Amino acid sequence: MNAQVQIDAQVRELSYAEAIREAMAIALERDPAVVLMGEDIGTYGGAFQVTGDLIDRFGPDRVMDTPISELGGAGVAVGAALTGLKPIFEFQFSDFAALAMEQIVNQAAKLRYMLGGEAEVPVVFRMPSGSGTGAAAQHSQSFEAWFGHVPGLKVVQPSTPAEAKGLLLAALADPDPVIVFEHKLLYKMKGPVPAGHYITPIGKAAVVRPGQHVTIVASAIMVHRALEAAAKLAREGIEAEVIDLRTVRPLDRETIIASVKKTGKLLCVYEGVKTLGVGAEISALVAESEAFDYLDAPIQRLGGAEAPIPYNPDLERAAVPQMPDIERVARQLAKGEV
Amino acid sequence: MPTEVIMPKVDMDMASGKLAVWHVSEGEEVKKGAALFDIETDKAAMEVEAPATGRLHHILAAPGETVDVGRPVAFIYAEGEAVGASPVAVEAPKVEAPAPVAAPVAPGADPMILAPDSADLRATPVARRLARQAGLDLAAITGTGPRGRIQRADVEAALARTKPAPVVEAPLVAKAPVAAPAAPITWEPQPGDLNVTTRKGSGVPLVLIHGFAADSYGWRPLEDALPKDQALIRIDLPSHGRSPLRRVAGFADLAKQLVQVFDRVAEGPVHLLGHSLGGGLALALADIRPRQVRTLSLIAPAGLGPEIDGAALNGIARAGSVDSLAPWLKRLTARPDGISHDFAKAAMLARLDPALREAQQELAAVLFPDGVQAFDLTAALSRIAMPTLMIWGRDDHILPWRQALAAPGEVALHLLRGVGHVPQIEDPATVAALIGRHLRG
Repeated sequence: MNAQVQIDAQVRELSYAEAIREAMAIALERDPAVVLMGEDIGTYGGAFQVTGDLIDRFGPDRVMDTPISELGGAGVAVGAALTGLKPIFEFQFSDFAALAMEQIVNQAAKLRYMLGGEAEVPVVFRMPSGSGTGAAAQHSQSFEAWFGHVPGLKVVQPSTPAEAKGLLLAALADPDPVIVFEHKLLYKMKGPVPAGHYITPIGKAAVVRPGQHVTIVASAIMVHRALEAAAKLAREGIEAEVIDLRTVRPLDRETIIASVKKTGKLLCVYEGVKTLGVGAEISALVAESEAFDYLDAPIQRLGGAEAPIPYNPDLERAAVPQMPDIERVARQLAKGEV
Repeated sequence: MPTEVIMPKVDMDMASGKLAVWHVSEGEEVKKGAALFDIETDKAAMEVEAPATGRLHHILAAPGETVDVGRPVAFIYAEGEAVGASPVAVEAPKVEAPAPVAAPVAPGADPMILAPDSADLRATPVARRLARQAGLDLAAITGTGPRGRIQRADVEAALARTKPAPVVEAPLVAKAPVAAPAAPITWEPQPGDLNVTTRKGSGVPLVLIHGFAADSYGWRPLEDALPKDQALIRIDLPSHGRSPLRRVAGFADLAKQLVQVFDRVAEGPVHLLGHSLGGGLALALADIRPRQVRTLSLIAPAGLGPEIDGAALNGIARAGSVDSLAPWLKRLTARPDGISHDFAKAAMLARLDPALREAQQELAAVLFPDGVQAFDLTAALSRIAMPTLMIWGRDDHILPWRQALAAPGEVALHLLRGVGHVPQIEDPATVAALIGRHLRG
């Protein structure tokens, strides 16, 4: 028994995509109700090769290719969840979830409420998300705020391989529909991942770098850009506290408020369009909270441009916050220049 | 009835106009249709004609003034019409309603403070809160932020300036007057987990470790009395001053956290000075890093006996207002009037955060359970070999001075008469002189 625990506690270097695949393999092994669905996730291995060889290991009854109809596929997944399975449905791009909004927003999110708590919809939607791959306007969006606006859904955004695995396993353990936004640029990123089954709790943010001069709340790839900026600022004596949001809905108010009370300065960094985005909600919750009386500067947001993601690589980079943007605004905040 | 002359709307999107010049003076005759005054809008300058014939009176707008469209600027009285008082009450200069002051002035606060907030005054929420709670008038503070915004640092600087030296009886001061503070000192935060500030100077720096529920500001009277070129490194303990709130498992854990910061900020040999709990920690630090500590100075150090005034510690840690804090602070000094109201107010300002008070109560429960000093440093005191000085007030109500007798013979003992638990505040000149001699060897 002890040996088993030791093996499970092993930590290896895995990529974000490998960590997600490992989480799915563990889930498939542990629970016969778990099935994978999605377009080209079988023999082809998924649009981003995340499911990979899982079809060889678990067969086509557990790893199911669905026809090129997001609405149909999502509908089958929601129906399967209602009737006892725990499907993980993969969208090739989160952008294509727009085709399946009826099933996600009007059905999956609502049924528990409309059936008086008698029904559960334990479905997980995996959505490759974000820009930076040169895939242009219809394949590069960040829809966290869209889905975060819907009561009945939970929305997570892992930023590391370990989080990607832990949050996916947490999503599967959750009785309600969970949207997992996987950042496409992170799929190849490597990081330490504990072996075996573990859960990264939904609804809990993580302080990934402590500091006392300015709070940076970031999610997904922005966490890495914020950490890079914080490391540069530390050389100037500016200690930025970086919070990895992890979950967009429900937001971890306590962690954010406690940090802002400490630093008095808040910078929200998110890839989705700035207006009405996740950072808008975080700014508002801080302004409404007891942290208001601790603010020593206007709250700042760095978000995506008010435009579709351009194809031109320079414009694509300019359309979302980059490390120097975070460094600049955090420095201004820390120095009282905003 | 006189004819009202109004600011005309000469442009579709014009809300107000700037009166450029009057062509007719007060009391002069004017004919209907003649040029009466010029206005400047965003787009153009233009002439306005008199709306009636008569004499011009009650000019309400001077050249250069901006007037809303439709508002009167003067009146024309017909021939023979009696000129009375202005038909329009001349508006007093616009004064915004004063912002309501949320917190009542603490009783006994200076009457000069808390003037109503000027409407165009810019201040961050935390600056407003701190000023309100300290009873400082924001209008008297110069903001250094963007567009003159008052930020936290501005209020703190203002507070540091107004923070009076604690009231100490004349005979004590007369013995050796405290030197007036020299040029403003610039404190620089060092990177690190605990808040560390330094004063540049020459020679081996003196590391200052404050006591329970105090912070680095408490050293100010002593610093002013020490030689001006004495380099200083001040450390705010966890959950104190501007250091982060942190859970502490016990004295050893606290000492460990301090050693980590010490290792980062102390680049070479140092002199070490601690007061009360900070004295106990300085002693522990000297025991752990003996080669780095040139001299050790302890003011009423903790850890040399079980007795301590637990009620005062808890009372100070818990107090949420000046009124509940001041009575406990008075226990610190030999004379009950040794702590002024202003000092208590400033002390309260440093403890406004309820979370900080909570953390300190927890710390008190860990370090001083049931009102007992749960750590014993007498062994450490007999182990250390560097020159060590101990200063204790004979009227210390918090830690009894007889605990000083635990010290081995090599330790220089100074037991001050008429002094309580905070000699560095009650008699900074004497303490500075003793420490100064000690540092020079």
